[in-house]
Parts: sequence; structure tokens; C-alpha cells
Amino acid sequence: MTENLDRRRLLTNAVVGSAALAGATALGSLAPEAAFAAPGEQAVEPGAPDPNFAEGRITGISAGMLFVTGSDLALWRIRITGGTSIWKLRPTTFDQVAVGDGLYARGLRLPDGTLAADSVWVNIVNVHAHIAAIGRNLLHLDHKGKRIVGHLVPGTSAARYNNTPAVSDMSMLRVGKHVQVIGAWVPDTNEVEIATVYAAA
Amino acid sequence: MISWIAPLQPLLLGIVLLWSARLKLLSPHAAAAAGRSALAKLVGDTRALPAYRLVGAGEAALALVLLAPPALPAEALAAAALSLGFTGYLAYARVAAPDSSCGCLSATRTPVRWRSFARTGALLAASMLALPAAGSWFDVLRGRPLPAAALLLAETALLVVLSPELDRHWLDRLRQLKVQVTRPLPAGGFDVPLDSTVEQLHRSPVWRETAALLTSDLREHWDDDDWRILVFTARHHGQEVAAVYAVPRLRYQPAAVRVVLVDEPTGQVLLTLESPPDSPEPDWVLPSPAAAAA
Repeated sequence: MTENLDRRRLLTNAVVGSAALAGATALGSLAPEAAFAAPGEQAVEPGAPDPNFAEGRITGISAGMLFVTGSDLALWRIRITGGTSIWKLRPTTFDQVAVGDGLYARGLRLPDGTLAADSVWVNIVNVHAHIAAIGRNLLHLDHKGKRIVGHLVPGTSAARYNNTPAVSDMSMLRVGKHVQVIGAWVPDTNEVEIATVYAAA
Repeated sequence: MISWIAPLQPLLLGIVLLWSARLKLLSPHAAAAAGRSALAKLVGDTRALPAYRLVGAGEAALALVLLAPPALPAEALAAAALSLGFTGYLAYARVAAPDSSCGCLSATRTPVRWRSFARTGALLAASMLALPAAGSWFDVLRGRPLPAAALLLAETALLVVLSPELDRHWLDRLRQLKVQVTRPLPAGGFDVPLDSTVEQLHRSPVWRETAALLTSDLREHWDDDDWRILVFTARHHGQEVAAVYAVPRLRYQPAAVRVVLVDEPTGQVLLTLESPPDSPEPDWVLPSPAAAAA
């Protein structure tokens, strides 16, 4: 834990500590070749599955590796590295990922068949629905006639009204109105934890 | 007791059937409602609208017969048969086309649920109650106006409660009222959601220059006084590095966003970048050093 705090202090100092930066680029170069030095995008045939993308339910977890069964029953081994971003309602860490979670992952397919993940989004869902009822920190959503229960997580859930920047004020949500919800599904239920709700106000 | 209740039922049934027939025969949305209903599956897409209109015509005819004196047991039996037919249709819709709309009283999309079944059950019960009717509803209304009106109101209220199509007229209003009274949702403090910071980052000049380097989504974030620090993974000269952005936390000032690329294992800073300071005046207004010297 203290190691993590030290690391954060180091990174914080690196970015805001050197307040007296002279020009636009004080150190290093941002030549185009820096951006394109990365291995070029592998061309994917139109209609062919993208080899660098995986989706499915997690069936097993071992050190640094997720075993995932895709919806087409493809078996994936997804390697999580220090550079992998993991989203589960919020940016989080590998130990928060559980067996039974669903995921989308993007990365680079290695010759041994594993996918070295750049980004993993766990349980992420995108729902267009109507608000059927509102309870304490709860949105009951009507999604094509089926009920979805959306939990607002204080401190994390945000609302965007009319595409303005996100705020934590949820009080402008109205029963009967249309909303779009980005959230984290609670596996094997009809419940989601809400990350962002888009609404008109 | 039954002597004044029974003659009122044809009035109720007649009004409900007329309401239902109005949608099927006169509404401009009838074609859409027919296409969404299970009729499209039952008789085919092309025959759905004629079948829908035929049902409406049947309902209207029966309604007029029910409303017109005299009250005959055969009319009540016909209404009961129609209710039974609706129940069968609803069961078919539930099983064969669960995504279809009821198409019963309104063109609003309403999936078939228990309330639709309960409503046809209530109509069936009203039809059975109407069987022993001896006189006309008009005489009962004139003879006992208050109890008759109360009974009709209660029955209508029951049918409204059992009609999902009408929810937006009363149930949604009630729930909105409840929300206004109890205020169950957080009205929000002054803390800035992460989404808001990420959006400010996306609108910054620094992001435009460095976004192409990033390989990962947001990895980590924390607050440091006026700044919110956002960490991504980037690829720089073929090397995996951490892209550490500092975004103003409590102000909206995308031009103040800065970034460093850090090689995490060694802690070495590979690149720092911040945009030129925001100035309200264009560059050519600033005095040039040459002019100042002369």
C-alpha cells in the first residue's frame, strides 16, 4: 500500500511538480514517428472476427490470466499485465474481477494464442430504457417491457443531462422519461450498478 | 341487490367495447397497432389490419346491442364469449409472440402481462353478472342515481387500474408526485464525477496531441489538491510507458491539462507536454521582441 502511495507521489510530482515548464514541449519529442513506431494495425478482413478482441464470461482466474468462454463458445486466455486497464463500474484492479463476470477485452493476440489485454471492461452494459419508477438510490427501468433495476452508487454514479458535463446530481431524472444507462451488470440478475445515466432535462 | 347491479353491467361493457372499437376502427394508429399485435403472427402480416378492423366492428356491434334496450341474456352470453375469446387470444400472444403488443385499448406498445388477463377476467365477470338483468340500465340510473354512479365509477376504476396502456396517465403521474415529495435521489454535492474530468481531458489540446499514443483505457486515478491525476498506458518509441495526465479538478480549463510519459520501472520521465498558456489576445497583438528592441 505504501509502495503504491510512493508511486503515486512520484507520478504526481512528475506531472504537476515541475510547474515552471518553459515552453510547450520541455522535454522529449513528439514526432509523428513516436506515435507510429507502434506495430501497425493488423488489417482485418471485412466481416472476419477481430483477433484482438474477446468477449465472454469468466470461467477461471489464475495468476495474471483470465479464462473466458465467449458467447460463441470460443475459449479465451486473456493475459492481464501492469499496463492493462480494468473497468468494473470504475477503473479498478485485477483482484476485483470475479469468476462469473462478463467482459469485453481488447489487446494484442500473441503467438501462443493468449490475448495480451490493453483494456478490459468487466460486466459493462449499455441500456436504452424508460424510467418506470424511482426509489431510494434506485431506478426501475422498463427495457422493452422487461424490468431492470438500476442501483445508483453514491460517489461513482454520474448523470449527464442534455450532453453537458457529468454531474452527481440525479434529481432531474423523471419517471416516464427515456434514459441511456452505462453500468456494470450484477451477474445473473436483472440488476445493474449505474456508472453514467444520460437523460434529457 | 342483484336486481339493480345486473342491468348496469351492459352499460359498462358497452362503453369499454366502444372504446376498444374506436381504436381499431377510427384511430390513425390502427395499422401500426395491428402490425405490433400478435394478430400479425396469427393471421399473417397482410391480413392483420383487416382482421383487427373486423374485431373492432364486432366489438362496436355488440356494444350497440348491449347499450340498446331491451337487455337480453343472449347479449350477456355474447359478451362473455367475446371475453373468453380475448383470453384465448392473450394466451396465444403470451406463448407464441411474447414480444408483441396487446393492441387492446390503445396503440401504445403494451406487452401482454397478468393485468391484461385480469382485465378480460373482470369483463367476463361483468358479462356473467349481466345475465340475470331484467330491466334497462337507464331505468336503474334514473331510479337509484347515487349507488349506480358509485358502482360504475368503481368498476371503471378497476378496469383503468388493470389497463397498462393507461399507466402513463395516472400511475406515472402518481410516481412523479411521490418522487417530488420524498426526493429519493441524491441532489449531488460539489464533488466532480470522474466522467466530467475525463471529458475535460478529451477536450484538451494535450489530449489531441497524445491520444494516438495511448493503448489502454483509463487505468487509475487519484486527486491531488487542485489536480485530478489520470493514468493511461501509452506506447512511445516502441516502449510501453505510463501516460500521466493532470487535469484541473474544480475548474473547467482544458488548456491547463498537462501530461508526462513515465517509464514506470525506472521512474524516468520521457516526455512532458503542456499547451501554451491561454491568452485572450491573438499572437500578433503581443509585442514582438524585434519591435521592442528598435
